[in-house]
Amino acid sequence: MPTRQVTHRRLLLADADAFYVAVARLVDPDGAGKEPLLIVGGSSKRGVVTSASYETRRYGVRSAMPTAHALRLCPKAVIVPVPREACSQKSREIRKALERFSPAVEPASIDEFYVDLTGTERLYHESLAATAARIRAAVLESTKLTVSIGGGTSRLIAKLAAEEAKRRRAGDKPGVHIVPPGGEEEFVGRLDLAQIPMIGPKFQERLARYGMRTVRDALRHDVGVLEEWFGKRGGHWLYNRIRGIDTGPVEARIRSKSISHEETFFDDLTEDDDLNREVLRLAVRVAADMRRKGFLARTVTVKIRDGDFTTRQAGHTFPQPVSADRPIVETAHRLLRKLRRARRTSARLLGVAVSQLSEARDPSQLALFEESSEGDLETDHDRTLARMVDGINVKFGRGGLRRASELRGGER
Amino acid sequence: MKFTITREQLQEGLIAVASTVPTRTTLPVLSNILVEATADGVRLAGTDLDIAVSTVVPAEIEAEGAVTLPAKKLVEIVRELPSAGIHFSASGEQRVTLECGRSRFKLLGIAPDEFPSFPTVSFDNAWKMTSADIQNLISHVVFAASTEESRPILNGVLWEMREDRMRMVATNGHRLARMDIPVSGGAAAADLIVPPKALEQIRKLFGPADEIEVARSDNHLGFRAGSTHIFTRLIEGPYPNYEQVIPRDNDKVVTVDRQALAAAIRRVGVVASDQTHRVRLSFSSGLVKFSVSTPDLGEAEDEIQATYDGEPLEIGFNATYLLELLKVMPTDEVRFTLKAPERAATMEPVGWDDPASYLCLVMPLRLVD
Repeated sequence: MPTRQVTHRRLLLADADAFYVAVARLVDPDGAGKEPLLIVGGSSKRGVVTSASYETRRYGVRSAMPTAHALRLCPKAVIVPVPREACSQKSREIRKALERFSPAVEPASIDEFYVDLTGTERLYHESLAATAARIRAAVLESTKLTVSIGGGTSRLIAKLAAEEAKRRRAGDKPGVHIVPPGGEEEFVGRLDLAQIPMIGPKFQERLARYGMRTVRDALRHDVGVLEEWFGKRGGHWLYNRIRGIDTGPVEARIRSKSISHEETFFDDLTEDDDLNREVLRLAVRVAADMRRKGFLARTVTVKIRDGDFTTRQAGHTFPQPVSADRPIVETAHRLLRKLRRARRTSARLLGVAVSQLSEARDPSQLALFEESSEGDLETDHDRTLARMVDGINVKFGRGGLRRASELRGGER
Repeated sequence: MKFTITREQLQEGLIAVASTVPTRTTLPVLSNILVEATADGVRLAGTDLDIAVSTVVPAEIEAEGAVTLPAKKLVEIVRELPSAGIHFSASGEQRVTLECGRSRFKLLGIAPDEFPSFPTVSFDNAWKMTSADIQNLISHVVFAASTEESRPILNGVLWEMREDRMRMVATNGHRLARMDIPVSGGAAAADLIVPPKALEQIRKLFGPADEIEVARSDNHLGFRAGSTHIFTRLIEGPYPNYEQVIPRDNDKVVTVDRQALAAAIRRVGVVASDQTHRVRLSFSSGLVKFSVSTPDLGEAEDEIQATYDGEPLEIGFNATYLLELLKVMPTDEVRFTLKAPERAATMEPVGWDDPASYLCLVMPLRLVD
């Protein structure tokens, strides 16, 4: 009887190097393109660093750091705004290049993609490292962007290997790192627990209480002990995680769980009128996006970040899914009032999200009780109105038709 | 506080109380069980602030007093101890020593005055009923209550007390279960909306032979059998007018074998959409046909025999709802009544030898193609 070789999954994570910086340089080759000390991000006093060039990172500048702070660390740095359109465009191009190698490409963020190459051994007749190198070259050729690639038998290993590849790249070695099947435990064993995705500061604190800082510290305990300390799910998860065990698949089409928009204001908002207007703008955008994607939602959530960075949110779930502006806008306003009642202070950020999505083409379950008495559900009139406004905005661009109350001072 | 109790007595009491103790709580004392040595025995109590359970188990009391001890640890310790007398002694309000044979434990508790006080419910004018009757209601009705937070009232079970009957109704807005049990000499009429979690405790803690007293205060409902008390918060009404949605003119009547119907729905349900679980039922003379068609997945068809002589009718249902009803139907045959594709269908047991009367209804799924 022929012996069958155990087949391992072959997953890659392709992560674009300093993506926003690289795109900004491509967009403006004579300006940003010639600037080694480059920061992409908000330039206002509230702005944060979206991405910093490798040269600026040497000064300690990091993503998500307030720009003002970054400039103190690296006073000569030049700040350019995020080229959003170009970034989305480049992201799509990278994805397209990757899809030439495998149909299973899952975007993890704008500049990170999982690629499942399981089953392509016979097609490509080469090692995973060789395929990864070819992918790098293909992406560079078609997008002018470099990616670092990590590979292994799971998403987790691919992600960690990609970080390793980036570290190596900084030493001018080719940005590919592949962890061979069976080498997972040894590879992960070299890391600190803080480097493992989803082990955040809070969890790190708890781990430290039991004397665990590195993966090696944690590997000493058996699963029973970890379950005792961190609960059945948490302990089991950690036990697998530090051994590089992760069975999550790469999914080319992920169903969105929520749709949201948020906005950080140039100056903190304190007036109810201003906040109401911003919530209206956000809710209308979220509702339109949701309809465009063919969803209905049952839950509306409003998020507010106070001037002192306290983040609060409130949500409401409808008995039946809705899609029109009216119920979503009314609910968002009500939730905002609730949040303002609880704490009446200035707001630096507002967000509106819809979740518990269902596909609009789902045949609807009929209800026993008349829902109209609820008052917060939509009527046919609401749906027709939303459809018409969507139609006009498709034709004339977003904002082609909108409520007067959405206009900010000075807009006409 | 000082007492000696057998392991079995203590374990029985702990089992009754521990299921109410919340696994996660922001109020640490709720993770504890109140252990109170009184002249009548040891009173054990636990609560999650919605439901509270207390019971008294016999013990040899040397000195009265109270402590609270971590529920999970206490249950685990008692489970591991040999079958023998357990000696409890407290030094102060928060340190307790447990001794059993040669095993010795010291546990740290929380002062008993931090333990929430139980609701005050007077049992003077209590309704009296057998546990078997309540169990009958609970096991046939509670499943239909809503588990979603959108309409809190539907998370409760309506319990109507009348002079000659009691009735339970539960619905999630799509399907509904209603059961009546005749009573004689019933006391005052009342409409109570009870959280299903409390009813689940009743089902677990009271044996079918127990005589139960049920009494209410403004916000709470109390159950008493022997030395065990269960209290629950009541949900404030009004409950939706369910009578109005029960169809009276369903003229198409199908009688069908319960198991055969459930098996067919389960079979075709395999390829139904995970979202809607939509199954299409076609009734024609002597036959029910089932069909499912899910884009991107596939199709299934099946049929079973049934007693039906009405007009042909096609109607869509959520397979999960039908299966839930069929699971609780108490007889081998069930009667299905229908009117039209977008009107409520009812299901009832056929030939049930129980004085109770039982009716379920379910709203269809719109058949759009």
